[in-house]
Amino acid sequence: MRLALLAAMTLTLTASGSFLPAAAPKTHTVTIDATRYEPATLTVAPGDTVIWRNKDILAHTATSTVGVFDSKEIKPGASWKYVVPKKGLFEYYCTLHPAMKASLRVR
Amino acid sequence: MHMKRTVTFAIAGVLACAVPAAAQSINDAQIAHIVVTANQVDVDAGKLAARKASDADIRKFGQLMMSDHTGVNKAAVDLATKLKVTPEANATSTAIKEAGDKNLAKLETLSGAAFDKAYIANEVAYHQQVIDALDKVLVPGATNAELKALLVKVRPAFVAHLEQAKRAQASLGK
Repeated sequence: MRLALLAAMTLTLTASGSFLPAAAPKTHTVTIDATRYEPATLTVAPGDTVIWRNKDILAHTATSTVGVFDSKEIKPGASWKYVVPKKGLFEYYCTLHPAMKASLRVR
Repeated sequence: MHMKRTVTFAIAGVLACAVPAAAQSINDAQIAHIVVTANQVDVDAGKLAARKASDADIRKFGQLMMSDHTGVNKAAVDLATKLKVTPEANATSTAIKEAGDKNLAKLETLSGAAFDKAYIANEVAYHQQVIDALDKVLVPGATNAELKALLVKVRPAFVAHLEQAKRAQASLGK
């Protein structure tokens, strides 16, 4: 029991400790509105979560140009979550409106 | 009614320096009717294309027009309801409806590549006209801030549709 409590405390410390090299995963939001992504370029770290929130009145997708991820259709008012697995520059677009483009920079 | 007209003209008069002449005679109820009519016309043409087009890209474009313009109309109707604005028929919305009906009648008689070509040519022209109307008449003419904001919000989608229609049209000949 005491051991479990100690472990929990250690975990809490690990999650918030700034002296540790690896930062805790963060959550970022990309807003989809008026047929565009905001921000158009988002920089995140591996393990972070990105949420695409569709505030537009039309359905859109967030689809990697090279097939790394695909939200499929995100309806108006809905959102889609993706945990970014690896480093790299990932360009994405809307398969419904290919003029909509943005990128995810993971480093 | 006369009173209301005068007020509309007075508001338009204030905007007159920045607004082309055509925008001065339009009110929000008429703009709402133009928006709903224009969207419905393209939903109907899209339905036909989704069913009749022989080219897969044209069918897909037709489906997108159905869903996107239905979405715009839902937002427009929701806003009109919220603002207690009853869309009011006018010469512009009547002309849009007549042109839409004429286009549908023509498309009904066509099939195969001829259908695809006629449908997409009309889509290119239609979206260009809608963008022009938004810029010159509807956005400058809208007095309610939320209505104006909705028109501004949907404009990029119409531009995207125009680009897609042009690309589909160009690839048809190949």
